[in-house]
Amino acid sequence: MKNIRLFLILILGSFASATFAQLSKTPTEDDYYKIISLPTPEGILLEVGGVATLPDGRIAVCTRRGDVWLVENPAMEGGSTPRYTLFASGLHEALGLSYYEGALYTAQRGELTKLVDTNGDDKADIYETVYQWPLSGHYHEYSFGPKITEDGSFFVTGNVAFGDEEWWRGESRVPWRGWTMKIHLDGTMEPWATGMRSPCGLGLVDGEFFYDDNQGDWQGSGGIFHVTKGSFTGHPAGLKWAGRENSPVKITTEQLYNKVDARQVKKEGAYIKPENINDEKDPAFFYEMKDEFKETRIPAVWLPHGVLGISNSEILQDNTAGKFGPFAGQVFVGDQGQSKIMRVVMEKVKGEFQGVAFDFKSGFQSGVLRMNWGHDGSLYAGLTNRGWGSAGTTTAGLQRLVWTGKVPMEMETVSAKPDGFEIEFTQPVDKKTAENLDSYFGRSYIYKYHPVYGSPTVNDEKLIIRGVKVSDDGLRVRVVIDNLRQYYLHELILSGVRSESGLPILHNTAYYTLNNIPEGAKLPANELSTKRTQAAVVKPTASKPTVKPTTNSSKSLTYAEIEPLLVKNTCTACHQTNKRQVGPSFVDIAKRKYSDQRIVDLIYKPEPKNWPEHETPMAAMPNVPRDEALKIAGWINSLLAKTP
Amino acid sequence: MKIKLLLLLLFIACAGKVNAQTKTLILQDLSDFKPQAGNWQIVGDVTMNPDVDIHEKPKQEPVASKLKGKKDKTTAESTHPQAVTFTAGKGILLNMNDDKKRDQLITSFEHGDIDLELEVMLPKGSNSGVYLQGRYEVQLLDSWGVKNPSFGDIGGIYRNWETEKGKIYVGKAPLSNPAKAPGLWQKMHISFQAPKFDKAGKKIENAKFLFVDLNGVRIHENVEVPLPTGGPIENNEKPLGPLMIQGDHGPVAFRNIKYTLLKQVDVSLSDLSYQVWYGNFKVISDYTVLKPNASGSLNELTCEILENENEYGTLYKGTVTVSDDATYKFSLVYTGGARLIINNKELANFQSGDGWWRNDEASIELKKGSYPIEIYNYKNASWLPPRLGLLVQTGSSLKPLHAYNSFPPDDQPVASIFINPGNEVRLLRAFIDFKGDYKQRLTHTIGVGDPSGTHYIYDLKAGNLVAVWHGDFVDATPMWHDRGDGSFRPRGATQYLFTNQPLAFLASPTAAFPMVAREDEMKAGEYRPKGYEIETATGRPIFKYSYEGIEVADKIYPGKNTIVHSVEIKNRGTKSGLYYKLAEGKSIQKMPNGAYAIDDKSYYIKTNGFTPEVRELNGVQELVVPVQGSFSYSIIW
Repeated sequence: MKNIRLFLILILGSFASATFAQLSKTPTEDDYYKIISLPTPEGILLEVGGVATLPDGRIAVCTRRGDVWLVENPAMEGGSTPRYTLFASGLHEALGLSYYEGALYTAQRGELTKLVDTNGDDKADIYETVYQWPLSGHYHEYSFGPKITEDGSFFVTGNVAFGDEEWWRGESRVPWRGWTMKIHLDGTMEPWATGMRSPCGLGLVDGEFFYDDNQGDWQGSGGIFHVTKGSFTGHPAGLKWAGRENSPVKITTEQLYNKVDARQVKKEGAYIKPENINDEKDPAFFYEMKDEFKETRIPAVWLPHGVLGISNSEILQDNTAGKFGPFAGQVFVGDQGQSKIMRVVMEKVKGEFQGVAFDFKSGFQSGVLRMNWGHDGSLYAGLTNRGWGSAGTTTAGLQRLVWTGKVPMEMETVSAKPDGFEIEFTQPVDKKTAENLDSYFGRSYIYKYHPVYGSPTVNDEKLIIRGVKVSDDGLRVRVVIDNLRQYYLHELILSGVRSESGLPILHNTAYYTLNNIPEGAKLPANELSTKRTQAAVVKPTASKPTVKPTTNSSKSLTYAEIEPLLVKNTCTACHQTNKRQVGPSFVDIAKRKYSDQRIVDLIYKPEPKNWPEHETPMAAMPNVPRDEALKIAGWINSLLAKTP
Repeated sequence: MKIKLLLLLLFIACAGKVNAQTKTLILQDLSDFKPQAGNWQIVGDVTMNPDVDIHEKPKQEPVASKLKGKKDKTTAESTHPQAVTFTAGKGILLNMNDDKKRDQLITSFEHGDIDLELEVMLPKGSNSGVYLQGRYEVQLLDSWGVKNPSFGDIGGIYRNWETEKGKIYVGKAPLSNPAKAPGLWQKMHISFQAPKFDKAGKKIENAKFLFVDLNGVRIHENVEVPLPTGGPIENNEKPLGPLMIQGDHGPVAFRNIKYTLLKQVDVSLSDLSYQVWYGNFKVISDYTVLKPNASGSLNELTCEILENENEYGTLYKGTVTVSDDATYKFSLVYTGGARLIINNKELANFQSGDGWWRNDEASIELKKGSYPIEIYNYKNASWLPPRLGLLVQTGSSLKPLHAYNSFPPDDQPVASIFINPGNEVRLLRAFIDFKGDYKQRLTHTIGVGDPSGTHYIYDLKAGNLVAVWHGDFVDATPMWHDRGDGSFRPRGATQYLFTNQPLAFLASPTAAFPMVAREDEMKAGEYRPKGYEIETATGRPIFKYSYEGIEVADKIYPGKNTIVHSVEIKNRGTKSGLYYKLAEGKSIQKMPNGAYAIDDKSYYIKTNGFTPEVRELNGVQELVVPVQGSFSYSIIW
C-alpha cells in the first residue's frame, strides 16, 4: 500500500515536472484545444454544408454535393475509425442540417426538406418538401438552415443574387431572397426579417435567433445580428418585397436610398462600380438608420473583417455544460476564409444585445462552415473552401475540436460599464502587470454604410485609458476609459497582462461592440490604479507601441516589434511569416524581391494575379498609413536575409 | 428561267457570312444535284412507321407515278404496313431505292472546308451515309438503342476495305450514340476541313472533322481522316469534291440542308505601333486625352509591352492586309474593355474595365488590299491578367494574328465531374437550362439517372416531366466546379418536352394551362409539391403533389428506349374540367402505329388505353386528355 502510494507520488511528480517544462514555453492554442481529423474513405468528399447530432451519438453531415452521410463512432473511441453510411443523396447544394423528432431537415437551394427513413435501413426513403420558395436560378442564391426553435418552427435564410451588369450589387430577384423565413411544420411560411446579404451563419442563443452576415456591399464588415420579427439588418435588396401584405418590414427601397446614396451611376452607357471614397467627409453609418427606420437592427457584435474572419459562418452556443471547457453558455462562430473559430459573449444593455468577440482557435484544414456538438462535448467542424479558398489548404473535410482539459489564460468575457469595461479572466491575473496601464492599449472605430464592397475602419481613435481596478481575487479588471463611443467597435489589447503563474493571455485582444453604454455609477478616481512602467516617459495617449525610430529601421525590426503594426492593419488576418495562409507568407513575398516601394504600392493596389494559387484575392488596403506600410515592406524584405 | 429563279433564291439564302457563302438547299427540285437514276425525289412530307423494318416486310414497290413527284397525294393503301409513306410537295429529299434505281446523290457544287447542317430521317433498319468531298463518309444508320456504337453506327466515320499496307483505314466510332428512334428527324452538324496540298500536289495535312454533332451531342472532335473511307466517289484525295449521299442501302429522307463553304484566306498585320497609359480608367476616353506613358513599334500584336499588370490603357495601331475580296470574321479576345476599328469601321466596343475573358466577334467586308486597324484595350480589374488577342477565320479554323503569350491558352483546364447511375438509380437536383437556354432556366428540377441508360428531368415546381434522354447521365461540372452556377447538363441527346404545370382545371376546353413564373410562391389550394418517396423495390422516386385537393403520385419508369409515365390520381372529386397535357409542339401527327409524333416528328407519345385530343392554342399544338382518374402513357424517342 505504502509502496503504491509512493509510486503514485513519483508518477505524479514526474508528470508535474513535465507540465512545468511545457509551461516554460509560451503555450499555444493546441495546448488547450486539439484539432483531430476524421478520416474519410477514398471517394467520399465531405464538402460539408451541415452538421447535425443524432440522439444516438452519431453525427450526420450534408454536403455541397448533395449527400447526407451518417458518421458512426465519430469520436473514434478505442482508436477505431468512423463508419460512414450514405443516408441520402441528390440534394441541391444542401447548406444546413438539423435533427428533429426522428427526421433530418435540410435547406436545399429551393426548399426545406424533411428526410425520413421509414423502414429502418438508415437510408432516407422520403424526401418531403416542407416548404418550397422561389429562386431565379442565380448561382449566389444559396439557402441556409434550418435552425429549429423550441416550438418546432424552422428558420431559413437566403442569399441575394447579383446584378447582370451591376455584378457587384446584391439583388433580390424573386420573393424572400435576402430574407429570413420562418417556416412552420404545417407548410406555411412567415417572412421574418430582411437586410441579409450572405446569411451563411445561423444560430439560436438561449432560444433567440441570430445570424451573421459577410462583408460585402452594404455590409462594411462581418457581424452578428439578433433577428427579431421585422428586423432590417442592412442590405437593401430584400426591401423589394416590403410592399407585400405579409412583409413585417415596411421600409421601401426608395425611402432607404433617399437616406443613403445607392450610387447607381452610369458613364458612357455603362454602370460604374462604386468604390470606397477615401477621406469621405460625412460617411453614413448604419446606426444612423435607427432614427429613420424603426426596423433597423445593427449588429450586436461586429466581427472585424480580416481580423475575426473574412466569411463568418455557423453560430453555435456552448451547451456542453463544461465538457468543452470554461466557456459554457458562450457562443462560437466559424469562419470559412480564415479556417478558424471565434468566441463571442453577449449581454443585453438597454434591452438590446451587444457584446465582445475574441479569437479562439485557428488551424482547421479547410474553411469552417458548420459546427455542432458531439455527445462527448467535442465540437465537430464541417469544412469546405471550394470557390472561395481558405487558410486551410485542403478543400474539404470533417474535423473535431477537443478540449484537452487545461484552462487557458483568457478573457472569459468583457462587459460594458458606464465608464468603460469589466474584463473577467479564466485565471487570476498577476496584479503587478494588471495594475500597470502600459499593459493595456486600444482603439475604437466603425464601418461605413454604403453600396461599396466592404468598408475600411473609419473614425479610428485611440482609447484613453484613465485607470484600472483589479478585483481582490484577481479574476476581474475594471478598465476605465475616457473616450467611449456609442455604436463603435472598441478594441482592447491586453498585451502586458499576465496570469498569476506568469502566462500571457492566449488571445489578448477583445473586440467589444458598444451599441449602448449602460447607465450607472462610475468608479471613483481614487479606486483606480494609474501606474505605468515608465510613468515619466510614456504619455497617457501613447498606448500604441512605438517602433524604434532608426533611419534604416527595417533591418533591425524583430517580429515582436512589427507585430503590432501587422495586427493593427489586419495583415496577419491573411499572412503569416513562414506559412501560407489565405495569402502568401511574408517570406514568400520577400522572395519576389520587390522594392519596399513596390510592396507599399501592392498594399494599396494588390495584384492577385501575381499569386494565382491563392483563391481569395487580396483587398486593397488604402487605410494603412504610408509610414506603417513602408515599415512593413522593409520588414518583409528583411526576411529574405534571415532565410537561408 | 428556272435557273434564274434558283440563283435568286440562292442569293437570298446567302447570309453574307465569313469569306464564304451560306446556302440552304430549298429542295424545290433536284437541280442542286447531278442527274441520278430516279431513286431520289423531292416530296412534301414523309412518314416512317417506326414499327416496320424495311427488311422484315415484303418490299412494296412504290407506285411509279410518285417517283416523279407528280400529283398523287399519298402512297397507295396496302394491306401490309408500309415502312415509308410520303405526300407530294416540296422541301424534303427522299431516297426510295430498289434493285434498279439505287444511285448515290451527288451535289452539283464542290467544297473544301465546309460547315454542314442537315436533318435526316431513317426508317427502321435503314442505312445511308454522307460523304464529305465524296470521299469521307459519316455513317447514317438506324442505330436506335445501340449501347456501344461502332464506326458502322450513325455518326461513325466509316472504315475502308483496303488490305494493302499503308492504305488501311479502320474508321472511328462516335463518342456516344445519340440516335433517335426510326421515323424521327435527327439533326447533324459537321465542321469539315479539307486535306491540304503543297504546290506539287503532295498532301501536307489530312482531312479533318473539326467536329460532328448528332442531335446536339458532340460525337467527334478534331479527328483526322488520313485516307478516303469505303466507297468513295474516287479513291484519291483532292482540295475540292462534291457532297455525296449514299442511296443504295435503303430509304432515307433529308431536309433543311444548310452549308457554308469556307475559303482559305490570308490575313496579316504590319506596321504595328503601341501607346500605353497607366491609371485607373473607367472608359477609353479617360486615357486617350492624356499623354501616353510609353510608346513604340511592335513586330507582332502583343500586350507584353505592359509594365503593370493592371490599371492600364493601350492603343495599338497598324495595317491589316487581306488576300481576297471577301467578308472577314474577326474575334477580339481580351480581359478588361476594348474597341476594335478596321478601315474606320467599329467592329467591337465594350467599355468596362473589368470585362471577363471577352470574345467579341464581328465581320467586315474587305477587298483585297491593306487597311488601317486600331485596337484599344484597358483594364482596372486586378484579378484578371492582361490578355489581348485577335483572330481571323480562314477556312474552318481561326488563325491568331497575335503573339502566343499575349493570349496563351488556359494551361490548367478544368477536369469534368460526370455523374452516372451505375447499378442504382441516381437522383440529383440542379438548375436546368431548358433547351439549353439560360433564360428558360428551371430552378426546382431533379435529374433521375437510371441504370437502364434512360434518364429524365422532373420539375418539382410544376409537377412536370420536362426532359428525357438516353446515354450518359449528367455533367455536374457547372455546379460543382469552383462556386458553380447551380446547374448540370444532361450528357445525351436531350429531348426537351414542355414546361409549366400539366395538370389543371381549365375554364373551357380551349383555355390555356397555367404558367409557372419564377417569382411564383406556393399558394394554398393550388399546386403544392410534396417531394418524393423512394420506391423500395426499384430505388426509383415517386413524385407527389396536391392540386386543389387532388393527390397526385407521378411514377416515371425508364425502360429501354422509352419512358412510361403513370399519373396516379386520388381524391379526384367531381369538379369538371380537369385536364392533363401530355405534350406540345409545332405540330402533332398521329402515326400509322397509333402513336403521336410530337413537334414535327421530334418524339412519340403512345397512350395506354385512352384517346387524347389534339388542340391548337396560339399556334402551338397540344396533346391533352380530360382526367377522370389515373392514366399512363409512354414517351418514345
